[in-house]
Amino acid sequence: MDYRYHNINSNEAQWLVVATVDGNSIELHDHQKGGGPAVLKRRLVCSLDELPPGTMKLVDVGKFGVGVYNVRGSLHAIVNYCSHEGAPLCLGYVGGTNEVDPDAPDRLRRSRDGQIVRCPWHNWEFDVTTGCNVADPRRRIRTYQVDVSDGEVYLTA
Amino acid sequence: MTTIERVEPQTEIAVAIVDTDVHPMPVSTDVLKSYAPADWIDKIWPTGNTVTPVPHFYDTPDSYKTMSMRVDATPPGGGFAGTDPEYAAKQLLIDAGVGIATLEPMCDAQLPQAEHVLKSTYNDWLADVWLDQNNAHGRWRGSISVSAQVPELAGREVERWSGHPYMAQVLMTPQTRGIPFGNPHFDPLYRAASANGFPVATHLMGQTPFELIPLYPVGNPAHWHDFFASWPLLYVSHLMSLVFDGAFDRHPDLRVVFVEGGFTWAMPVMWRMDRIWEARRNDLPHVRRRPSEYVREHVRFTTQPLEDTDVGQFREYLEMMDLGDNLMFSTDYPHWSYDSPAYAINRFPAAHRERIMRGNATKLYRLPATVKALPGEQPPA
Amino acid sequence: MIIDTNVQPHFRFNAEIRDYLPDAHRLRSIPDVEQQWYQAPGGDYRRDLYGEHYPGSDPETVARHLFDDAGVQYAILNPLTRGNIADYLLNSRICAAVNDWLLDRWLEPDSTGRFRGTIRVNPEDPKGAVAEIERLSAHPKLVQIGVPMQSREPYGKPMFEPIWAAAAAHGLPVAVHINGGNGVDYAPTFAGHAHTYPGYAAFMPLNYFVHLATLIVEGVFGRHPGLKFVFADGGYDILTPLMWRLDTFWLSMRDQTPWVDRYPNEYLPAHVRFCSSAFDGPTDAAQMQRWMEFSGKADLLMYGSSYPHWSTSSPEIAAAGLDAAQRDKVLWQNASELYGLAVKETAG
Repeated sequence: MDYRYHNINSNEAQWLVVATVDGNSIELHDHQKGGGPAVLKRRLVCSLDELPPGTMKLVDVGKFGVGVYNVRGSLHAIVNYCSHEGAPLCLGYVGGTNEVDPDAPDRLRRSRDGQIVRCPWHNWEFDVTTGCNVADPRRRIRTYQVDVSDGEVYLTA
Repeated sequence: MTTIERVEPQTEIAVAIVDTDVHPMPVSTDVLKSYAPADWIDKIWPTGNTVTPVPHFYDTPDSYKTMSMRVDATPPGGGFAGTDPEYAAKQLLIDAGVGIATLEPMCDAQLPQAEHVLKSTYNDWLADVWLDQNNAHGRWRGSISVSAQVPELAGREVERWSGHPYMAQVLMTPQTRGIPFGNPHFDPLYRAASANGFPVATHLMGQTPFELIPLYPVGNPAHWHDFFASWPLLYVSHLMSLVFDGAFDRHPDLRVVFVEGGFTWAMPVMWRMDRIWEARRNDLPHVRRRPSEYVREHVRFTTQPLEDTDVGQFREYLEMMDLGDNLMFSTDYPHWSYDSPAYAINRFPAAHRERIMRGNATKLYRLPATVKALPGEQPPA
Repeated sequence: MIIDTNVQPHFRFNAEIRDYLPDAHRLRSIPDVEQQWYQAPGGDYRRDLYGEHYPGSDPETVARHLFDDAGVQYAILNPLTRGNIADYLLNSRICAAVNDWLLDRWLEPDSTGRFRGTIRVNPEDPKGAVAEIERLSAHPKLVQIGVPMQSREPYGKPMFEPIWAAAAAHGLPVAVHINGGNGVDYAPTFAGHAHTYPGYAAFMPLNYFVHLATLIVEGVFGRHPGLKFVFADGGYDILTPLMWRLDTFWLSMRDQTPWVDRYPNEYLPAHVRFCSSAFDGPTDAAQMQRWMEFSGKADLLMYGSSYPHWSTSSPEIAAAGLDAAQRDKVLWQNASELYGLAVKETAG
């Protein structure tokens, strides 16, 4: 019957590239899953001054973009795409996470400050420095190499 | 990112996705108050504070910074998520591919009369701002909010909206102060809803105080995690009452929609009701049919929040359950627990997808097959 | 071989419990054996068993029905108490009286050697409950602790933890069963009172899930690796969809309760069991085998007749549709492992 495309300026639309409505069925074609750009290229992001500790730059590369984070002086990059439902991961808040402290009255202790990004939708926690989900480290998001040369930040993505 | 040619306005496109749970909010309390009767304003808003959201007893993952909303749903022009119809249209109708969405405002008040007036006020606001001023595309549908405390007045409120081109259903809280849905208490409402072809939808309202939380039979969990995992048992209680207390026999045209309570629980509940009905039919002379048949005919479930279990097992479960005619896709936009249509569609067995994403809601709410495209939407190929 | 994990023995008549209560309580009113707000029309128990004495009140009759007629090898007796009344100390004394009566009338004189029993305790009196466990845990025929389904706080909450710690320390599972009598309870469904008996019977057992969810999320299972709970009223079909929710939301909520360090469903094999019921299982028997694989139920489920309840189910009914391996697990193997009951080879 009809095709529907959707404006692909969003992570959602990257999934739903084409949906075919055909009488009694809807088929999903070519939805992108968790991936980033196919061919890696070393690209200039910005000067290091423009990316102080605790900040992030969203780079327009690949289908979803890549977020480059300065975590207490070390640089990391993750795909802007949550492996759960495809949310724009790098729009989520960055902070720490809680671990168990058996001696604390509430049994909680803050840890890993500045390196945990919470998905802006379901708040899944991902460690920016490893790409691993905090609860289930087997769930991962794609990470990329970042290097600094002559005070300039380069992303290989 | 690349762009594709834009469509001219007024082009009709096929509806591929119907979203049966979207939450609009007034942009300010003052705007909402402008729809309220003057002599009720001080009673419903005594301190001038915002009406919603109501207090949290259970904190979602980030109740404070994100206010339990999608971080990226904050309108760029300012305001709270869900207050800007145009931004909602952009994110939902354009970006996410939703053809038609059902709007469900959330509100409650402690006392019956006040709650009735508050709900009517919301209906007037919704009808004006979302269903009229910002509905040139005709793609928003609304809910007639009613108070469960005063079913007679609720019935009259339903009558007030009879024939409205965009009101699609009635909306009532499931937190009914210990009166289950099958109780004749609700008959005036069900009569009015059935007579006017409006399904009765139910959705968790605020975590209001006292017995409205509601109080769980064996006491309440301390965290949202176990609270919300157990939450479907409220819908189970209501569904069992609708069946065993004979509401569907008294109201053969009644349709009930359970929103945001999951649906996979329906299969074991149908088995359980069927087994007990078989064993105790003498106790239920007014229940003429097998309970699971009532569910198939009278009940619909929205799909969000989808469980993230292994997709093969999930699809197998749905095939066993065989409720492909009873499920309706929903996002819960703009809440944090939003389900993306693209994620959802892949979770369902192929043979169920069209019905769940579009067909069942289209039938229930008598929706059109095509709608006007919005600027920025892509044309049919 | 068949192990029946859910049998409710009763006093012969209402006043019999007074023989086991201390004198200090001689002026106290004790609820009747069959005093329920939600009594089944026609009686809670099998009509054919009402006679001179209360159903399930004569050990010889019960032994004949279970061991001779039904082919059961072992039967776990889990008596009801007439709690939860407001006076928690009286409640605890009622539990102790029931425990003493069980030993006196059912377990000590048991010539068959095939009855096993339950130590009833009152969770509203944690100190008293721990003391009762310490008093009786050494008895070889008492194989589990028993608590009511009814509670005003779910069992994962901290006030109960000393009881579960004591149970785990003695290697005794905790059986949760809908209790008799009426008391200071909340309405039985999430939407208030049921208006029909079927409405009550269909819903009430499902409340176990709130106990289970809190035991996981509060970290009780995490802190007590040896602790086991038995949900003795069935309701295990809804385990799958509700555990899926608990698993899914864990990824969002872990930060609030980081002591939950694995998917919630991973706690089930080591910590949770169910007794079968007449109201569970797919209505299409052809789905039963595959259904038992969801949530690993074949390893969690144990046959329980609910004798002398009107819904007493036979081993044949409980095993309907199961494959051979599932049958063995449900009819005796899971119970044998849980309660340490030696397998007896029987002819045929």
